[in-house]
Amino acid sequence: MHFDLIVIGMGLTGLMAAKTAAERKKKVLLIGKGFGTLTLFSNTIDLMGILPEEVPVKESLPLWIEEHPDHPYGKVGMEKIEEALSSFLSFFPPPYTFQSRNGANSLVPTGAGTLRPTYLIPSTMMKGIGLREKKALIVGFKGYKDFYPHRFSDLFRCRAMTVDLEEAHGAEVSATTLARWMEEPSFRQRLTEGIKKEWKGEPLLGFPALLGLRDPMVVRRDLEKRTGASIFEIPVLPPSMPGMRIFNTFREKLIRMGVTFLLGQSVSRLLLRGDRCEGVEVAHAPLVNTYTGERILLATGRFIGGGLRADSSRIEEPLLGLPVTQPPSREGWFEEAFFASSGHPVHRAGVVVDSMFRPLNEGGKPIFENVWVAGTILAHHDSLYEKSKEGIEIATGYTAALKALGG
Amino acid sequence: MEKELWPRNEADLCIRCAACMAICPVSRVTPLFPGPKQAGPGAQRFRRPDEPSMDPWIDLCIGCQLCDMVCAAGVPISELNLIAKAKYLDEKGRPLRDWLLTHTHLFGSLGSMFSPIVNFFLKNRAFRWLLDVTFQIDRRRVLPAYESPTFRQWFRQHRSQGEKKVAYFYGCFTNTNEVDVGKATVEVLEANGFEVVLPRQQCCGIPMLGNGNFRGAHKIGAKNVPPLLEAVRSGMEVVFSSTSCGHMIRHEYDHLLHLEGAKEVSSHLFDLMEFLRNLHESGHLRSPFQKTPLKVAYFAPCHLKSLGIGFPTLPILRLVPGLSVENVEAHCCGLGGTFGFKKEKYDISEEIGRDLARALSAIEPDMVLSECEGCRMQIRHLTGLRTLHPIQLLRDALSR
Amino acid sequence: MKTETEVLIVGGGATGVGLARDLSLRGVSTALVEKGDFASGASGRNHGLLHSGGRYAVSDPVAARECIAENRILKRIAPHCVEETEGLFVSLPEDGVDFQNRFLQACRNAEIPATLLSRDEALHLEPNLHPDILGAVKVPDGAVDPFTLVVENVRDAEAHGARLLPHTTITSLLVEGKRLRGVTIKDRITGEEGTIEAPWVINATGAWANELLSLAGLRIGMALSKGTLLVTNHRLTHRVINRCRPPSDGDIIVPNDAVSILGTTSVRVKTPEDFLPTTEEVDLLVRETSRMVPQIRDARLIRAYAGIRPLFQTEGANDDRQISRGFALIDHGRRDGLHGLITITGGKLITYRLMAEKTSDLVCEKMGRPTPCTTHLRPLPGAATRQRFSERLKKMNRGFSVEGGEILCDCELIQRNEVGNLLKGQTLRDLQDILHRTRLAKGTCQGGFCVYRLLGLLHEARRVEGDSNLVLKQFLEERWRGIRPILWGVAMKEEELIESIYRGLFNL
Repeated sequence: MHFDLIVIGMGLTGLMAAKTAAERKKKVLLIGKGFGTLTLFSNTIDLMGILPEEVPVKESLPLWIEEHPDHPYGKVGMEKIEEALSSFLSFFPPPYTFQSRNGANSLVPTGAGTLRPTYLIPSTMMKGIGLREKKALIVGFKGYKDFYPHRFSDLFRCRAMTVDLEEAHGAEVSATTLARWMEEPSFRQRLTEGIKKEWKGEPLLGFPALLGLRDPMVVRRDLEKRTGASIFEIPVLPPSMPGMRIFNTFREKLIRMGVTFLLGQSVSRLLLRGDRCEGVEVAHAPLVNTYTGERILLATGRFIGGGLRADSSRIEEPLLGLPVTQPPSREGWFEEAFFASSGHPVHRAGVVVDSMFRPLNEGGKPIFENVWVAGTILAHHDSLYEKSKEGIEIATGYTAALKALGG
Repeated sequence: MEKELWPRNEADLCIRCAACMAICPVSRVTPLFPGPKQAGPGAQRFRRPDEPSMDPWIDLCIGCQLCDMVCAAGVPISELNLIAKAKYLDEKGRPLRDWLLTHTHLFGSLGSMFSPIVNFFLKNRAFRWLLDVTFQIDRRRVLPAYESPTFRQWFRQHRSQGEKKVAYFYGCFTNTNEVDVGKATVEVLEANGFEVVLPRQQCCGIPMLGNGNFRGAHKIGAKNVPPLLEAVRSGMEVVFSSTSCGHMIRHEYDHLLHLEGAKEVSSHLFDLMEFLRNLHESGHLRSPFQKTPLKVAYFAPCHLKSLGIGFPTLPILRLVPGLSVENVEAHCCGLGGTFGFKKEKYDISEEIGRDLARALSAIEPDMVLSECEGCRMQIRHLTGLRTLHPIQLLRDALSR
Repeated sequence: MKTETEVLIVGGGATGVGLARDLSLRGVSTALVEKGDFASGASGRNHGLLHSGGRYAVSDPVAARECIAENRILKRIAPHCVEETEGLFVSLPEDGVDFQNRFLQACRNAEIPATLLSRDEALHLEPNLHPDILGAVKVPDGAVDPFTLVVENVRDAEAHGARLLPHTTITSLLVEGKRLRGVTIKDRITGEEGTIEAPWVINATGAWANELLSLAGLRIGMALSKGTLLVTNHRLTHRVINRCRPPSDGDIIVPNDAVSILGTTSVRVKTPEDFLPTTEEVDLLVRETSRMVPQIRDARLIRAYAGIRPLFQTEGANDDRQISRGFALIDHGRRDGLHGLITITGGKLITYRLMAEKTSDLVCEKMGRPTPCTTHLRPLPGAATRQRFSERLKKMNRGFSVEGGEILCDCELIQRNEVGNLLKGQTLRDLQDILHRTRLAKGTCQGGFCVYRLLGLLHEARRVEGDSNLVLKQFLEERWRGIRPILWGVAMKEEELIESIYRGLFNL
């Protein structure tokens, strides 16, 4: 099969790249294993969390980018960043959508009882921003071990309760089980009855981020109706249901748009001819399937996704052997303290690209005619320190795809 | 349990990220199954091949392989589960029921020959109650009816003609329980200029493998490979209409069962819809499809997903004018082959299937299409909707 | 707070608690202070090998005999702390058959049961061994859980009237003329100060011997040798695998619960607090141990740690392995003119009981109350309760979480109720104390998920003071020390996950 664009990597970067190409009526192959890091850490859309809260990012981000021209955002530019975010949002029309507060960063409460800065917040989490100003009751579930309402509420000075669900029969309950039960009206009825026993009329009710997978707003609306309180979700340990919602939405819509969606396959080799990449090989024992394409976009992520690989001395990009800028030795990868204030040097390692998102050789020249690289595999960013992961994924996935298509 | 088969270091790849937990259909509906993260790589650190199995819940893994698809670290979770399941069942012993469920191919011809009586019993409440109580085959499960003549018998009376030959692995269910799927396959292939040939074939063995019976699957697979190899070496490609049979032969015959010659067969073995898609891509698909003003829901079976060929049915269906196609968003139908027939697993099977049923009712289709006979059975069972193999709709659209 | 006792033991490692048990069983009123948690020195940072003595058979036959005797005793009195794995001494082509012959003979001389196995026989027992091996000698090595061993001694000592005070430092020695009368102490967590008066003080502080002695202006000759160890994600062999050659770096692989421990190195250090494994040591261990088990080259490592061995130095030896691993009892009255102080130093984990016996014999003699030792006869308290690690798999069976609560540690299968039980009736002062006493956080992700859960549980039990996220951060920082040295390969992915959760998602 022959494609206009082959996107390798099924994280948010790859999903955005596929969307961008499919919208322009290109024949797209999207191939990857897993959900990128969507089900791991993505609950909200970070853009550049270290920018101050009060200032609209429209103002503060361009200045920051000027000061950090090597950063992936430097190759995108503010205009395209905004376009990319709009494109992402077009997949999430209300009621379940993502919003910023006045175009600036906000602090959302997390399951560890901390606050984290982020930019676009899903509708089900918005009301959590008011947590410090209003009284709240935080609800956990007996048998659900990834959220502890009492510890959370101690740190935020609100009240907590643990619901003992009959349906659990005293056993452990997983995130997906709870999210599924949430979608049943009768479950919500029993749940709210249980909550009302302890609820003292607090205007806010907080839950771990499990308000259903398919229709979280229906779930929330119903819970709000039954209680009269404002309801919000709190991000917890993986697996992330909000991240799953993002993935499911992209999957459904991309398939409808005619994208060949190969979830579960891994590219084993790229087919090269001179400075052109002709296609990919997918090893699926005992077969090796070949897909050819005009353009290849690499969005394989960092170490978790296998986009970067470290042996005991070096970091490599395993598919094309692209040069990876990195600290000179393994000793320099990580600082001695885990919470080193400037972050660990290895996080800035990655593939270097030009303004067209083409990977460069050591001499600074593009290596291939038709290969583009996007996402967190890129060098010169530290998304943990910056709180910029989803923004980089969306912005570079979008822009690199555009560049690949000649835009 | 052969020592070579015992997994060595694959479980070490697991980084405990729990992505697999997000997609597992079984752990979503029951706490009895600890979920892929724990059942596979988690438990593997504690399993020893020379010690008795201590994981009875391993039998609850439905074998959908969805966990494998989302594991970025590349842990072959469902394989770890299957091998552990095989060891557990080898030690515990398999009930007669499991033998019955995995050897239905032995009764197929009899069932067909005496189909009126057999079907009467299969529908009869008292008989089903007896099966439930004696063999733990859940009485609520609708048992597939037998048809007569079998597909093979029909084909014997049929004269296939064409410019090129293609071999067809129809699968035992098509042969005795859903003959029209076979007929439609033959007709559409012939309409595209192919002469259809049926190599000598038995049950592909997936019910046995799914129940951890490696030996039985190997034995029956060893009978299937030579005729397929012969067909392939004579220049033919082979197609399958059941994605379960197809996945079994194309991947598990070599990868898990190490059958000689399987690899060569695999490289010439295609899913029927994939085959048509390839024809379409090369401009050779004869597609004078007539207008078919229907709203259909398409459900991709788990084994199709694990074939890793995408959803070839979708672009083909788009060639049928007037047809509105909705891809159903649900991961697993819940039948799991023999899984949903078992009394102790029936409720789990149904609970998993409810998500699919709900998604279908939101669509309100005129009919549902799916390439797996198990999924079709389950969808009919859950929704009562008319459910066909896509090839049947295509045949109808051709001949209308 | 002022206490009087007959004997004060300083140091809560195996030797110290072994002493507390021995003396209390002899009816001597005993107290013990330890500045950290029990077994925070070499006792908690070794490879957990229950020597058969084979390792010393050629170089130190006396030590070898001691080992095999103690090996048998420990198997008898502490079967629940020991896994009788057996051990193999494998010979690779470069080791030569000569040494193997000497080794076999030396074992026989020391009465260590030893059987010669052919290459095929060895590979049949342990298929992961290097195919090039010439053969192996089978000996009764075993694996011991040092922490449980120490804690069991603590329990028995307390049950017989001893008072053991962890997290307590000695602030000064109370010397009157030529006698040591006692010590002043300070509780490290509460800050409370006190005095313990004792006619006999035993310095069982291991590598910290001189730290204590300096309070009296004394010193003994001691070398400190750091040994680094690596932990693999899963158990690579079911027997202890030793290299059949003169003892050197990277010549041992010990099975331990669900993992294997690879060891070890020997690096001279200056202070007992130098606990960090270096990149060179890690690389060396992988290289050397993979000569015995090739899989190690690519094996997933989950942690690296180091312990400091105290080596009593007579005069001028340089290679730490040549300094006797035997132990020394120093009567400071005779040596330095300060009566009432005895130092016990040197030795290894497996001879702790013997060291305690000899020391107790000396002290009791000096007190004019010679009583026989019974520690080799009486089983340790929990001796009846023994569980194979593979049985933990049953935790996931039907009804498991209903009975025991949810599984907190997914990797090591530790349930809520197990931790809950730990919290009852024990003075656990901080998170590390809890973590020492459970296998929680010892598995693949090294606490990545379960410590977050544990903190929630501790909070519910009202056992957390102050900011619980500070505790979490401290844990992650401590964990990092064991992870950083082995960060490559799959471990990089694990770290990306953990860091993204705590620094990214939770913004700690």
